[in-house]
Amino acid sequence: MAAPLLEAGVAFAVLAVGGVVAARAGLSVIPAYIAAGVLVGPNTPVPALALVSESEFIDLLAELGVVLLLFFIGLEFNLERLLASRDRITRAGVIDLVVNGGIGLGLAFLLGFSSVTALFVAGIVYISSSAVITKTLIDLGWIADPESDAILGVLVFEDVVIAVYLAVLGALALGGSPEGVAVSLGVALGFIVALVALAAYGTPLLERLLATDSDEQFLVRVVAAAVLVGGVALAAGVSEAVAAFFLGAAFGGTSHAGRIERVITSERDLYAAVFFLSIGLQTDPGALAGVVVPLAVLVPVTAVSKLASGYLGGRTYGLNQRRSVRVAVGLVARGEFSLVIAALAVTAGLPRAEEILALAVGYVLVMSLLGTVLMRSSGRVEALVARLRPPEARPTP
Amino acid sequence: MTVYETDVPGVGRKFELDVGRGARAVVLLHHDGRVELFRRPSPEADSQKVFDLDSTAANRLGSILEGAYFESVDTEQLEIPVGGGIIEWVEIGENSPVAGRTLAEADLRAETGVSVIAVQRGDETVPNPAGGFEIRPGDLLVTLGTRKQQAAFADRCAPE
Repeated sequence: MAAPLLEAGVAFAVLAVGGVVAARAGLSVIPAYIAAGVLVGPNTPVPALALVSESEFIDLLAELGVVLLLFFIGLEFNLERLLASRDRITRAGVIDLVVNGGIGLGLAFLLGFSSVTALFVAGIVYISSSAVITKTLIDLGWIADPESDAILGVLVFEDVVIAVYLAVLGALALGGSPEGVAVSLGVALGFIVALVALAAYGTPLLERLLATDSDEQFLVRVVAAAVLVGGVALAAGVSEAVAAFFLGAAFGGTSHAGRIERVITSERDLYAAVFFLSIGLQTDPGALAGVVVPLAVLVPVTAVSKLASGYLGGRTYGLNQRRSVRVAVGLVARGEFSLVIAALAVTAGLPRAEEILALAVGYVLVMSLLGTVLMRSSGRVEALVARLRPPEARPTP
Repeated sequence: MTVYETDVPGVGRKFELDVGRGARAVVLLHHDGRVELFRRPSPEADSQKVFDLDSTAANRLGSILEGAYFESVDTEQLEIPVGGGIIEWVEIGENSPVAGRTLAEADLRAETGVSVIAVQRGDETVPNPAGGFEIRPGDLLVTLGTRKQQAAFADRCAPE
């Protein structure tokens, strides 16, 4: 057992170092974790550093990271809040989906991807990063201002879209033949219906399941439920991430929601870090060089499309020009979800999966940094927009 | 007075309160108990962070604002009937007759029945001050006594 333990130690140590570097630079940890994975992985450009292999235990921890990441999103998912301001959220969210999903799909076809693979690429460029964006909102203090309502509203809308999208995509990718896809879709739908029913009628059961004074017992039960449901889903050909999301939403309706968040946050952060590391381990820097051309197309176009959809979304949210510019820059960062989608492509053994993974990694590395930098220098962007379109100069209605 | 309350997914809860002249106080309650306090001077302005508190400091600030904060005292030394005592804060003005005198000289307990259980001086709190403790202008005396005794005490400390 000595070798795997040592390897795990090295893995966590490089994550720790990556975290320090990210904190020093004032940037998100996600690109730092991925870069750390590339650097110590089997495809490292520095052979002496190839210390961590792509082993089963890393895969397992990474899988737990995906399950807990989506479980937590589900837990935080508040249907009542979504419904309370559904008009504004839906308008901003639909603009976001149509503009970015549409442009993503168009670009994917343009870059020679076909049908299912194009849908993967579209998803990767559509979905913003809740993790990167929420952290920067807190760091900059925007969290106290109205623009954060619009930004978080769009992110919540994206969560719903991505849950449905992953379910469909998982069925398409894992199903194989047309009949297989139909069966997979049916199973996925059945699974979701069962979990939604659990959320609607199973609250007393879930309450009883978690009724314990011991935090230790509590944590074990929560992790057991999330991982078991995720595992059963995957065995049945349904995306484990989707199952975890809906299970999280079911738990979110119980009185234990706050305690689950408190108890499970550190586990989620730990395993999610391993997930980002494992993405780095699987990435071949050579393959990254091979996707420079598609990236040179995707990055500028989808950055601008997010800026445009974000600005429009802010305006439909009733925000003024300056705050709408903040919504625009605040939605540019892409991160964990893009990587979850790429990981699904690899798991499903999709044609050109390696290329999709490399594309997603390169894309997330650039967009997570670009998004953070844009938010930090938003003052200059706001001034620029105000100069181009002076608010006073517009005719008053 | 309306308090606006919103869920902040992944973070916690946010409360906003109008505090007059277009300004708003914004309180962000993190899941882990951390509390950030902001002030937004006008609807168009950016919020400025006033405090970033851990849960203990936030709870203490909350009870101060509620008027429910006091240091615990050794009740055995006090001669107030249980249930009849209230705690008051008495500020010593520049011209107060007790300013410049020690607690023993002022002999406040014998005269009014009120015990001085703590003195707040600037940033410093002196719990259970001894008889030799000198009262100075600007001190905030924390006192325990019945309602009637407290009234007598306040009169005694007020400028003549």
